Amino acid sequence: MSTLDVESRHRKDVGLAGRAKAGTSPAFERQRQRFFWLLLAPVLAILAVVTLLPTLYLLVTSFTPLNLANPATAWDFSDPLVNYRTLLTDDRLHNSLWVQAKLSVVTVVLQLLFGLLVALLLNMRTPLMNALRTSFLVPMVLPPIVVAIIWKVLYSPDISPAWWLFQVLGWNVQTPITDAGWALTAIIVADTWEWFPFTMIIILAALAMMPEEQREAAEVDGASIWQLTWYITLPYLKGTLLVAGLFRLIDSIKTFPLIYILTDGGPGSVTEVSNYYIFVQSFSFSYIGYSAAVTMVLLAMIVVLSWIIIRAVSGGSNVEQ
Amino acid sequence: MKRGDRTAVETVASAGLFRRDVLKFALAGSAMAAIGLRAPAVLANAKPFEGITLRGACFQHIFHTYIQKLLPEFEEQTGMKVEFDLQAFPVYNQRMDLELSTQGSSYDFCNITHSFSGRWISAGWLTPLNGFLDDPNKTAADFDPDDFVSGTQIAYIDAKKQVHGFAWEAGAMMMAASRFDLLDKEGIAMPTTLAELADVCKATHNKSGVAAFVADRLHHWNFPPYLMGFGGKVFRDPPGDLMPVLDSAESIEAAAYYAGLLSNYCPAGVLSYTDDQAMRNQLAGRANLRINAMSWLLPLAKSDDSRVKDTVRFALMPEGPKGSFPACNANAYGIPAGSRQKDAAWAFIQWATSKKTFERTALEMGGLATPRRSIIEDPRYKQALTINGQDIASMYLDVLERSGRDGYMAYRTVPVWPQAGEKINKAIERVASGQADAETSMKEAQAAAVEDIKKAGVKL
Repeated sequence: MSTLDVESRHRKDVGLAGRAKAGTSPAFERQRQRFFWLLLAPVLAILAVVTLLPTLYLLVTSFTPLNLANPATAWDFSDPLVNYRTLLTDDRLHNSLWVQAKLSVVTVVLQLLFGLLVALLLNMRTPLMNALRTSFLVPMVLPPIVVAIIWKVLYSPDISPAWWLFQVLGWNVQTPITDAGWALTAIIVADTWEWFPFTMIIILAALAMMPEEQREAAEVDGASIWQLTWYITLPYLKGTLLVAGLFRLIDSIKTFPLIYILTDGGPGSVTEVSNYYIFVQSFSFSYIGYSAAVTMVLLAMIVVLSWIIIRAVSGGSNVEQ
Repeated sequence: MKRGDRTAVETVASAGLFRRDVLKFALAGSAMAAIGLRAPAVLANAKPFEGITLRGACFQHIFHTYIQKLLPEFEEQTGMKVEFDLQAFPVYNQRMDLELSTQGSSYDFCNITHSFSGRWISAGWLTPLNGFLDDPNKTAADFDPDDFVSGTQIAYIDAKKQVHGFAWEAGAMMMAASRFDLLDKEGIAMPTTLAELADVCKATHNKSGVAAFVADRLHHWNFPPYLMGFGGKVFRDPPGDLMPVLDSAESIEAAAYYAGLLSNYCPAGVLSYTDDQAMRNQLAGRANLRINAMSWLLPLAKSDDSRVKDTVRFALMPEGPKGSFPACNANAYGIPAGSRQKDAAWAFIQWATSKKTFERTALEMGGLATPRRSIIEDPRYKQALTINGQDIASMYLDVLERSGRDGYMAYRTVPVWPQAGEKINKAIERVASGQADAETSMKEAQAAAVEDIKKAGVKL
């Protein structure tokens, strides 16, 4: 008999025993289920109104050429796929998806790396590290617009302390936000600074829960600090890193204030990510129908991506079990 | 008292109520008061908008600070209370675009941004003001709409001659050298042609650590005068023919010229400069020449922060091979179509853009970007705008009149201007940052503009 069969039979036994113990009949069980649904109904109704209806409206709108300057377009379903056909040939959208992919991959990897590194250092539990722990959280708790302004100041040669220093040293350094080759890097640096504390705090929490036995046993066996990290700590953190990465990946697709303040998507379109493009289409040109179609595609991509990652995370857990 | 003798405020105070009625009720009220009775509520019509709260939205601008200082007098005379919702320029435009599209009644009056005027007016989101102007009970004879310089009103009058707004601010593009002394030292006069401008920049760039030129990142405002100077256009024949022509030989030549100024003669990081950053560079004497609306150049002579008061010189925008087309714009007050207090809103607009109010904002408070000819030609105005011996008032009036007369600013007030303007911004950035040459970039801009304009349902 396989492990799964044993487990399934065990659950069945426990269920039957529990029901017998409680003296429940099928009618009572149905009543109980109905009562639970009754309690859940208001919450489900609110959820439907707050999340599902707007999404549904967005989907419906994506089949219209809705343009705010022409209200008659709101219910024009004469060519429902026009927006979806347009986005297939929209080079600027394709470019924005590519920019988004670069930004997301690099920022998530960097935030995981820095977050892990700093969390491992802070986990040393010395008085200095305890004091530093809070200060590392500052970038994450600042309002995003403030973070953007801080970096705008840092990247503006005429007011930046960094450029003052460069000038004193006689270095002629171009500002990265107006350099097509460096503008995206400038956004990545600022975004990593802002959000690595998030991954750091999740990893720190996981480290605090980590059982000490394995480490102590390895230490007794003479394992070095690198071996401890590589063979014990990192495998233990694998699931945590995947969850933190997933959160950051989804969040990275929503990056907006940094781009709005620092580069406005430029120079040209080198820092124009998909959600910024959607913003331009809807709020600068009022093409609500088209931006709804792009949003639906982006939403579908995020859902698929999340599903893949969640599968990867849960698959990893099953293997461990 | 003849109608012609009444001031705007007096008319405002009696709007919606004939003078005879006021007198009649006033007499009745006095009689009842005399016999100890409580005065009837209608007596309050001496302040016809008593109890009304008027809500308006505008972008942040010093003019509104002046207006807010004067508001207590207006509120006292009319009985209404006026609330302003002020937002940053880009935020305001986006929010108001949405707000107007709902035909909501959140605001009773609003700013009509010049570049959105065609879009908002053609969509029917603003109230025509002709009904108010034609009604002597609602409009004072001394309001004198013809006193507004033509270039400031052209964007707010539709094809049927209906007026939708009155300017509270006017912008006339001119050139200022914050460090004219550097040119003078080289024996160079202020450039009068675009070719001379390039030569001056080349000759003076980084002399004494001063960048020869500076601009902000609103290329859709800065660039079209160069474009037209080289013989190019944004649209083939606006407002009738909205086919963009950004890929013409003239457009490409203009883009190469303008992007060259940005990449060769400006301070580092100029592509990210806001209006204010560009102005600060001039105020501090770190950058010399700038071509922009007068409001952004006058602080060089008037601001306490200016280090260049003695060295600043002004000139008209240099001519291109095909002529001079300095940009002109004006922002106006209008009444949203959904407003439920249109009479009160008109009373406010009439007061805020009256000669008397502009006299105070322009001549007493220093808001010199005024749209009324009578103020611009006032000797006190001329005196205030005579800077280092130069008559700036004449230059200002010249630009406002020229754009009204020649109508070359029509490109900026068509409904699809935001789409084309954004493509210009991107195109110039690509050229100035070295991502593409002018030809490639302008052709890309043309293709993108055509695609985006088609989405608006415009047949090209």
